[in-house]
Amino acid sequence: MVPITYYLLLAAALFCMGMFGVLVRTNALVVFMCVELMLNAVNLTFLAFARMHGDGMGHVSAFFVIAVAAAEAAIGLAIVIAVFRSRGSVNVDDIRTMKH
Amino acid sequence: MDGIVEFFRTAPIPPDVFAPSLGLIILLPLLGAFVCGVFGKWLGRANVHLVACSAIAGAFVLSVLAFWATSDAAGGRVVSMANPFGLERDVIRYAIAHDYGTWFAAGDFRVNFGLLVDHLSGILLLIITGVGFLIHLYSTSYMEHDDGYWRFFAYLNLFVAAMLTLVMADNLVLLFVGWEGVGMASYLLIGFWYTDSAKAWAGRKAFVTNRIGDFAFLIATFLLILTVGAFNRQADARDFNAASSSRARYAQGIEQKGPVTFKGLEKMALALPEGTGGAVSLATPIEAGPLSGYTFGGVMTAIMLLFLLGAAGKSAQLPLYVWLPDAMAGPTPVSALIHAATMVTAGVYLFCRMSSLLVLSPTAMATIAIVGALTSLLAALIAFAQDDIKKVLAYSTVSQLGIMFMGVGMGVFWAAEMHLMTHAFFKACLFLGAGSVMHGNADETDIKKLGGLWKEMPWTHGTFLVATLAITGIFPIMSGFFSKDAIFHGVHHNHLHGLEWVSTFVYVMGLLITASTAFYMSRVYLLTFTGPRSKEAKVPHAHESAWHMTLPLVVLAFLSFVTFAYALPLMPRTGGGMQPVFENFLSPVLRPAEAVARAAETVKLDTSTPAITDYLFAWLVALSGGAAAAFAYLKYFPSRAGQPVPAFARAVRRTAQNKFYVDELYEFILIRPVKFVAFILFRVVDALVIDTVLVRGTAYVTEKVGLGLRRLQTGDAQAYAAIMALAILGGAVYALLQVLS
Repeated sequence: MVPITYYLLLAAALFCMGMFGVLVRTNALVVFMCVELMLNAVNLTFLAFARMHGDGMGHVSAFFVIAVAAAEAAIGLAIVIAVFRSRGSVNVDDIRTMKH
Repeated sequence: MDGIVEFFRTAPIPPDVFAPSLGLIILLPLLGAFVCGVFGKWLGRANVHLVACSAIAGAFVLSVLAFWATSDAAGGRVVSMANPFGLERDVIRYAIAHDYGTWFAAGDFRVNFGLLVDHLSGILLLIITGVGFLIHLYSTSYMEHDDGYWRFFAYLNLFVAAMLTLVMADNLVLLFVGWEGVGMASYLLIGFWYTDSAKAWAGRKAFVTNRIGDFAFLIATFLLILTVGAFNRQADARDFNAASSSRARYAQGIEQKGPVTFKGLEKMALALPEGTGGAVSLATPIEAGPLSGYTFGGVMTAIMLLFLLGAAGKSAQLPLYVWLPDAMAGPTPVSALIHAATMVTAGVYLFCRMSSLLVLSPTAMATIAIVGALTSLLAALIAFAQDDIKKVLAYSTVSQLGIMFMGVGMGVFWAAEMHLMTHAFFKACLFLGAGSVMHGNADETDIKKLGGLWKEMPWTHGTFLVATLAITGIFPIMSGFFSKDAIFHGVHHNHLHGLEWVSTFVYVMGLLITASTAFYMSRVYLLTFTGPRSKEAKVPHAHESAWHMTLPLVVLAFLSFVTFAYALPLMPRTGGGMQPVFENFLSPVLRPAEAVARAAETVKLDTSTPAITDYLFAWLVALSGGAAAAFAYLKYFPSRAGQPVPAFARAVRRTAQNKFYVDELYEFILIRPVKFVAFILFRVVDALVIDTVLVRGTAYVTEKVGLGLRRLQTGDAQAYAAIMALAILGGAVYALLQVLS
């Protein structure tokens, strides 16, 4: 039986990779993938804890996160495509309309 | 003869049937004011005149009925009603009243909307509505060419409604409503031609001066409420024995009608005098409440002095008389109605109404009499040198009001009231006559530029002559002579306990005033109507005014002639001898005051009838003033025409013409410092602290902070995410540290 510490360390490592990706990459698609990575890191902790406690709540939460992630990916991709159509680029540094 | 007496003794509508309709007397002019003010523009001239005049005429008819009802003596029993503050047998005679229920109540304080008409307020009702109607009629012609005629009539009606409230109120608070109402209406009317800034300023001056007095009035009312409360707690049954009442009934009356009802105050005054053997007398200190430690007598004096200040504002006495001459800026009918006949006499009315409380305080009475005498003499001296016909009449009004105050202050209430009545007639006649003169001479008001009008304006001349003779007393069979002399006779013979010198002082002043009045009024008459027409006149020939204007003049002149009959001692006195008709007539109202004065021994009221020599002396004094004027203006000055005037005479004249620089004195002592303080407050508090530091400072700080914060908003989603991540990291580190330690 693998101790929970390893799972948590793996999840933390995945989460940090995802977070750095979100913060530093300029391609919107890569940013999205990194977000997915972060979500999956969280899922991993949920499942690890659920397994440790023998409690179904963690599984439920993981499914919920996956469902939300799927929805978010669908909407996010639609936005990215719309932005690409209007600007010809998916570089997040160029998209600063939130300022106005 | 018996038939006539019987007719006048039986009211057409019985008192108890008529009483609930008393409110209509006020409501009619109020309705007229509403209709004229709101719809006047669309109604047209004739309809506005009709509405305004008929409202006053209706009020006059109702007033006559009300007055008649107070004298109803069907079956030999005079009209009488229960006194809520006394025993069942302790009734109020010759009065009708109606209580419309609670107006407002707060805790144990309560004010009822109660109206009372007795002989005192009845006379005033007739003056207000009667003279008021004549002046409305006069105004229909006088204001014919004015665009604001509908506004004018609305204000006039409003004024009459407020004045009627003032005199019909059965308690001080309701009286104050009318008191403020006439103040407001007079402000509107004085500043009626508001596009002329000088006239608007005159209205403002009147308003501000009156406010000072009204403030004193309010404080006096509050003190009185506290005193009544203290008296109600502290007095025992023996106090009330003197007032032929019982303590329980008094407390019950206060619960029903409130502490400021005149009848209740009268009962308190009857119970307060010294030596009745009860727990409370004038020298008793008040035990509890805000006034604790002060004696009843001391508080009463303070109350009366504050009321004096209030009355001085409304009735143009020292030190607040300065507004009245300036108020002549308003239309002439306003001067006649407000500044001669009704509003300015409110102070006299107030003191007659409160006479039973007033006689408790000789100090206050002496102050009133001296203030009246000084005001009267000062105003008379200023009137000597004024050339504006309306200004002379205005100062004459101030002077005559001073005479009334002398009468009130020395306890001759009936004579003061009678002079109020006769003054209303002859002064209204004089003012309207002056208006007629102005109307016929292209608004010329300088009497030096008139002259010789007796041929061209016969009706105005005749009525003006009658009124002049009435006010001066040069020709004795006139009302003014008798009413003035009744006051001076009473002043001479009444004595204030401990202040006997006041009587002599005021009487000597009175003689001076009589001579002065005769002089300056003769001067106005002679310069305006006799002699050749002045070369500086604006129009070569004056024209007589329309009948709308001359008819009121004739009626007023007639009234100012015939009312002398009231001063003749024709009625039997209870103690033997005869007494003047008017004294007899007012005795139901003034009897409590006499009883209080007798019991408290504060005033010795002399009720002796003037002898023929008294009249002769007064007549000679008046005649000397008139003769001096006649000599000066008919003989002396015309013969000296073209010669230089001596320097000292010019200096004296200039001083009098400038009103003894009283206005300038006020300007220097009061207005400048107040303006200076206001300037400092404006510069430091308003401009610096509020405007600069608080208002602009807040805006400045917000703007700068915003500028700084703007740099944080880049629009870069990744930067926001980084901040979020850092914050989460910080939180995580903090949580970790907490867990580990």
